[in-house]
Amino acid sequence: MQFSNLNLDYFSILPEIITALAGVILMLIDAFSKKAGRKLSPMFSLFALVATLASIIALWPRASYTASFAGMIVNDHLRLYFALVIVACGIIATLLASQFLDDEALPPGEFYALMMFATTGMLMMASAGDLVMVFLGLETSSIATYVMAGYRRTDLRANESSLKYFLLGSFSAAFLLYGMALTYGATGTTNIEGIRQILIAGKVIYPQMLLVGVAMMLVGFGFKIATAPFHLWTPDVYEGAPTLVTAILATGPKVAVFAAFLRVFAEGLGTPTAPAVGAQIYDNWINALAVMAAIGMTFGNIVALAQRNMKRMLAYSSIAHGGYTLIGFLTTEYAPVGFYMLTYALMSLGAFAIVQMLAREGDAKTEISDYAGIGFEVPNLSFPLAIFMLSMAGIPPMAGFMGKFYVFKSAWVSSPNLRWLVIVAIINSIISVYYYLYPIVVMFFRPPVSDFTKPRLSPMSQLALAITIIGTLYFGLFPNGALKVLQQKTPGAQQVAVQK
Amino acid sequence: MELYLITILLFLPLLGAASMWGHSLAFLHRVPLERIREHYRWIALVIAGLEFLISLILLFKFDSSKSEPQFQLNIPWIEGLGAHFHLGVDGISLWLVVLTTFLLPIAILVTWRVNNNVRAYFTTLFLLETGIIGVFVSLDMLLFYLFWEMSIIPMGFLIGVWGAEREHRVHATIKFLIFTVVGSLFMLVGIIGVFYYSGATTFDLLEITQTLQSNRAAGRELIPANLAVWFWLAFALGFFVKIPIWPLHAWLPETYVQAPTSGSIMMAGVMAKMGAYGLMRFNLPLFPDVSMKFAPWVMALAVIGLIYGALLAIVQTDLKRLVAYSSLSHLGYVILGIFAFTSQSMQGALFQMINHGISTGALFVCVGLITQRRQTREISEFGGMATQMPGYSTAFMIIAFSSLGLPLLNGFIGEILILVGTFSSSVPYSKVFAVIGAAGVVLASIYILWKMQRVLFGAVTKEENKELEDLTRRERVALIPMVALAIVLGVTPMVFLRASDRTVNQVRTAVVQQSSK
Repeated sequence: MQFSNLNLDYFSILPEIITALAGVILMLIDAFSKKAGRKLSPMFSLFALVATLASIIALWPRASYTASFAGMIVNDHLRLYFALVIVACGIIATLLASQFLDDEALPPGEFYALMMFATTGMLMMASAGDLVMVFLGLETSSIATYVMAGYRRTDLRANESSLKYFLLGSFSAAFLLYGMALTYGATGTTNIEGIRQILIAGKVIYPQMLLVGVAMMLVGFGFKIATAPFHLWTPDVYEGAPTLVTAILATGPKVAVFAAFLRVFAEGLGTPTAPAVGAQIYDNWINALAVMAAIGMTFGNIVALAQRNMKRMLAYSSIAHGGYTLIGFLTTEYAPVGFYMLTYALMSLGAFAIVQMLAREGDAKTEISDYAGIGFEVPNLSFPLAIFMLSMAGIPPMAGFMGKFYVFKSAWVSSPNLRWLVIVAIINSIISVYYYLYPIVVMFFRPPVSDFTKPRLSPMSQLALAITIIGTLYFGLFPNGALKVLQQKTPGAQQVAVQK
Repeated sequence: MELYLITILLFLPLLGAASMWGHSLAFLHRVPLERIREHYRWIALVIAGLEFLISLILLFKFDSSKSEPQFQLNIPWIEGLGAHFHLGVDGISLWLVVLTTFLLPIAILVTWRVNNNVRAYFTTLFLLETGIIGVFVSLDMLLFYLFWEMSIIPMGFLIGVWGAEREHRVHATIKFLIFTVVGSLFMLVGIIGVFYYSGATTFDLLEITQTLQSNRAAGRELIPANLAVWFWLAFALGFFVKIPIWPLHAWLPETYVQAPTSGSIMMAGVMAKMGAYGLMRFNLPLFPDVSMKFAPWVMALAVIGLIYGALLAIVQTDLKRLVAYSSLSHLGYVILGIFAFTSQSMQGALFQMINHGISTGALFVCVGLITQRRQTREISEFGGMATQMPGYSTAFMIIAFSSLGLPLLNGFIGEILILVGTFSSSVPYSKVFAVIGAAGVVLASIYILWKMQRVLFGAVTKEENKELEDLTRRERVALIPMVALAIVLGVTPMVFLRASDRTVNQVRTAVVQQSSK
């Protein structure tokens, strides 16, 4: 690292600066006035997130591969796009949070602050150009989310969930860190682009060590995106955490980890033509991920079939969706992953939001059988839930279909080696139809339960729901805009392509 | 105007649904619910009627001297994927579109008294109509798939929410949804496969068909022969389930029986044709070789289904179930006709699709009407209806005769064309299939005549049947057009056949010539 060439471009980390500052300010608001905080905090968080969104859009024209902060921050289209999705998830979650905190009488201040810090970490993951930065972002967001998972302090399930998440999360972070250390030892650099150059030049110092390091990083990332066989924490954590936190866990961090995962593997280690160990590593991780994708989808879907609890079902379904996303990942393009993550985030947030609204205090009603006959009682919740379920099942004109279709098509066209995975994925989609239809059947076609009362909906929750529904339908019918953004090539991409 | 005619047809039902919701926003607090419901019904009827009239414009402006799709509209939709909003109708889809718009007002009329969630009910029907019409007019594979799925979900709701018996209808819905959604996912594999191997940059069906054909003419098969078989099967599975063809019909009896009358009409009347239409639109032009190779097998399945359906129809004690099995039997003819690849048989198949839509639709109406009056579908509960309900019985009889293929009624023309065409076909064993098919006609007359005898004639044995009211004015409005059409099509089939002649022959020659290469 040359300190003479730091390139301290503060504008390029404006999004992270805004969210970090906002987190600090939110804690201060809470410290000085608890009362005002309840009203002020959500508004301020929203304001900060919208400002972050604006800063990301302002950064768009400056997208390039030029790294700043000595290669720590990369400001290319991958980063900007994923940052956009992460912040959008944050905005929707914040909109939902105020009602959740009010209904459960939980302290609001820390929650918003934690969410801001988590968002900061996620944004750092998306923009990381260096393994150290990836880890830093990952831990920043993880620690915040560990706390959020246990936010309902008096609830044993939430405690269990939080502890489980923390223990297994730290364990996997250790894997990741060890992998990074070994990679550093083998290549002499932690810079992702640097690792790439070294692989292409064939100058790896300790090839065997690199292989072990990459394998360990794969485990670490695999844990964070909750793909089989590293998914075991997911159902318990998702079920035990307050539903809103589950919604956050299932979307933002996953999107961010996929961004970092893409950066490290698809870009840094995406070297199929490199001499010696470079190509070998590429083959190895591609094959390993292909197997992980196949197991993830199949396992997630089959186990989801047997679930009778909505949150657990969605947890397994998210494992399956992770598997589908990995198929897009294997094309080593970021467009399929990005688009799938966008659609996944929208429909998951929406679905979890509705589960939260129907669940009532303390997540009392999250069994699917609790939804019996509510279809025409609360059409403003049941129809959206039906839309999200159909979207997850991949039925047009919902966004989930377009996401799947784009991934399948990209994978099919990009490489003959991936076609078997597409077939496996389609068989999996077939399996998944059953359990996604099940809540719809229960809601609309079963006789109603007698003790059902209509849940209250705050205007902010309604807005969040509206955003997710409109988004789900919009990206299902008119995905063109998003695809155009995704297919933009960062200036300078050609050089990289030639080097490939 | 002409350019957007199909687009209007597609979006008018959605507008109708939206207008009902708008209406309720404006009036729900001021007008009693019962009156509001009446408003919904009239809005639904007017929009559905308007839709039918617009489709008639399509019919009159259609130029039957052309074989290619007309009124084409082609605008980019998803450039990133190469999908277009490409619409058009040709001689095949024209009649199916008109049939759809014709049946919907009738479905609305006969279920006028649906009383739970009226607004949602009509919204579902309208979504269904948009989906079905969309399937028939899309010329882009992705758009086709979108509409295909879009038609399935409303149908599921129709059965699940407004179906017959709560215990059974949920099961029927799940069965229906799983069968059809799974079938269509296979179709999706076919779509991606064809897209990829044709080397096209778009999902435009016409373009892909042309690329494949011109390459074939030059001696190049773009889709490898071993894969073409699988893609053919993937498409066929989706379509066979929809029709359904034996042995993929397991969802049919229960679904038809549990569906509300409107659902049965739309499902048997037009949704079954979506499958047959898909075969003519995708399987035949895209894979002429495989289609030719598989023709005897498909015909065998069609014939098995035809006989199987007829035999089961004979032994049914449930009136609606009987019609359901007879529908399965009749659809066997359609498939037989398509895969015989002669001009008559294919024309006959298309004609039979329309006939089946009218006569089976009308049969479901008839069954629905007496079920509504008696709350039972058991054949043994009826008898002697002819004396109690003369108007109803007349209509029922004409429709039943049309369904069994009495000359001068529409069913006869379709069946005779198919059987003659199949007999003269060059597909192996086609003569055997034609003969067995003809036996199906005999079986049809058994179950239909026996049913009529038990339901309509004889003495009135049940006390409840003595007070039954004949057709009301609304029911007459629903039934008379169907009866009239059955007669008109039977007497002057040429009007109909002329419009579809070119397109059907083009599909046929494409298969026959290209597969012989």
